[in-house]
Amino acid sequence: MSARPITTIKTVVAGIEAAGTGIKVFTLADPDRWDLPPFKPGAHIDLHLPNGLVRTYSLCNEPADNTRYVIAVKREADGRGGSRALHDEVGIGDVIGVSLPRGGLEPGADIARHVFVAGGIGVTPFLSMARHLLRIGNADFVLHLIVREEVPLAAHLAPLIEAGRVVVHRTSRAGRPDLASLVGEVGVQTMVACCGPEGMTDEFEGMTAAWPAANVHIERFVAPPPMIDPDAKPFVLSLARTGTEIQVRAGQTMLAALHEGGIDIPTSCCGGICGACKVGWIEGKPVHRDRVLSPYERERFLMVCVAGSNADRLVLDL
Amino acid sequence: MLDEIDAGSADSTARLGWSGLVRFLHLAPRAFLPMRAMEQLVLVAGQGIEGDRYMIGREEGFYSHKPEEGRQVTLFELETLVALKRDAGIELGPEEHRRNVTVEGVPLNHLVGRRFWLGETLLEATRLSIPCRHIEEITGKAIFDPLINRSGLNCRILQGGIVRVGDTVRNAA
Repeated sequence: MSARPITTIKTVVAGIEAAGTGIKVFTLADPDRWDLPPFKPGAHIDLHLPNGLVRTYSLCNEPADNTRYVIAVKREADGRGGSRALHDEVGIGDVIGVSLPRGGLEPGADIARHVFVAGGIGVTPFLSMARHLLRIGNADFVLHLIVREEVPLAAHLAPLIEAGRVVVHRTSRAGRPDLASLVGEVGVQTMVACCGPEGMTDEFEGMTAAWPAANVHIERFVAPPPMIDPDAKPFVLSLARTGTEIQVRAGQTMLAALHEGGIDIPTSCCGGICGACKVGWIEGKPVHRDRVLSPYERERFLMVCVAGSNADRLVLDL
Repeated sequence: MLDEIDAGSADSTARLGWSGLVRFLHLAPRAFLPMRAMEQLVLVAGQGIEGDRYMIGREEGFYSHKPEEGRQVTLFELETLVALKRDAGIELGPEEHRRNVTVEGVPLNHLVGRRFWLGETLLEATRLSIPCRHIEEITGKAIFDPLINRSGLNCRILQGGIVRVGDTVRNAA
């Protein structure tokens, strides 16, 4: 029996390949090569690294290639430590927990033309997309790859460059290309997408501001802050038996905050119907959103998986 | 009141009768992994399903930190998948509900506390399964609410054996 819930997909490092200056391609697979959870082209996963860091990387492979997750990681010497850990400490056979894939871009049936703009290692989600579009026989797409000089993942991109699917723009030779001219005219049947450094994605965002939102997709290296219900407010949980105070962020569940604070609460459905996470409350204004407690029980208990607070402070019998 | 009438007792269920079929079999070796369709499953008495994440001793499932002796094999009604599409417009495949055995013609919700034959294996139903947010996370489909009260059945295995697609399911009362 594992003492803690399993919260990640168990993968092992099945391959590590050099793919240009400072870039390594990691292949993650199930220990028994079982199919992995499905993903959309260009989706990303969180890696829970052995040193405790959690970092997000785009998948380079396509959804049909579903027994592995392939990521390309550029070693950032001055970064926050994730890429250094992967480059310097992770080897073949190491176990790495990953999240379910998120995001990505489903090619819409009514989209006839795709234009992708990538900066440097930002090419990774579009490598996945390009492979997917080729597999499903979609003819009309182009990927503009803007690099200083060296093409990342050159061996992976070579067939696409040869086929004219990827156009490389070297800023060391020709300066930075005009994004507007690369993207062309707005059209309801055109999907445009960009992934790259912040300056590039900001420029792209401004340039496509007038486009229908459904036709524009932007991937950033650093995830934007999550969307939070504008009515959600942070509050403090005060645990009466220990005197511990735990901050609940706006939009966060009490359950998540308690788990972050190292408080182990039994859970099951996480949707307010099973009753597993019932906790007594002593003072405050709880907002009950469960479907299991009676009005009488609600005077003394709440379900931490769904309940909120209408006051700044809520005292729990923990 | 219920004590005074013959409502849903083992005797009355046997008398009224039902019999069903095993339509799909699935397992997964670890949490989050897609369920794989199988032609047969090997059920081990008192333990679970060979190769499945919840086999006692293996404990690699999402809920394995909450061990449960009565969760050795889980069942789901094909009729629920039909109802989800009909009533909620949600297409859910038998590989998506994450129970091991999809049956047709078996009133799962009536069987809690009862014994029944699943092919050559004898099961005892321990409790109704409950829906969980985890399944919405995996499938990306809003199925938590529509699955309340029809999310399948947890069972322990009294007599093991091989269960095959097409096997008969029948009351053991």
